[in-house]
Amino acid sequence: MTSVLSPVSGTVLPLSEVPDPVFAQAMVGPGVALKPVGGSADVIAPIAGVIVTLHPHAFVIAGESGTAVLVHLGIDTVQRQGEGFALHVAKGDTVTAGQSVVTWDPTEIEAVGFSSVCPVIVLEATEDQLADLVVGSDVTAGDPLFTHQS
Amino acid sequence: MADKAEAILAALGGADNIVEIEPCITRLRCELKDGSLANEAALKAAGAMGVLKAGEVVQVVVGPQADTIASDIEDLL
Repeated sequence: MTSVLSPVSGTVLPLSEVPDPVFAQAMVGPGVALKPVGGSADVIAPIAGVIVTLHPHAFVIAGESGTAVLVHLGIDTVQRQGEGFALHVAKGDTVTAGQSVVTWDPTEIEAVGFSSVCPVIVLEATEDQLADLVVGSDVTAGDPLFTHQS
Repeated sequence: MADKAEAILAALGGADNIVEIEPCITRLRCELKDGSLANEAALKAAGAMGVLKAGEVVQVVVGPQADTIASDIEDLL
């Protein structure tokens, strides 16, 4: 079982509230979303593992047990082309849970017209593999969001 | 994977219909010359989990292999 930590501080929302149908309909996997608190902040690795995909605005970490977690910072933020995202890791790096991956500012993202909501998705998983979800709560980066049993 | 790229490209109306394809983690954001040429059923048959059409922009949800598929499609253009 893998415990998935919150990558950012904020309020935990159900995926259905994400303003993007791919995430809201869980097409790429189940999970939760976070409405982050404003201001510049570090985004942390939700699990230990290898950074298998890395963009300024999103990353995937694959853990040893087969759990792969996608963190997407804001919606449609690929259009920012990296502006406002400062990466602290490289693709292929091994990270520990809680390690800083990127620094961004949700307030700045919203100021330029994007949603700052962050989907946290377990790729190629099913809803029934997730447990202990804390939807509706306020969390601090590093707090447990849910567990995944692969 | 290259077969999948070929099938997706065909379902998007072929190389001549592509303006730009940009991978974003789990999806291909495709800007087409003519969005109506994108065949949703064929895209799903090629392995797409979902297809979102908005005019000339078609988003093909392919899962975490999006980056690989996009570079395979680039090779075919």
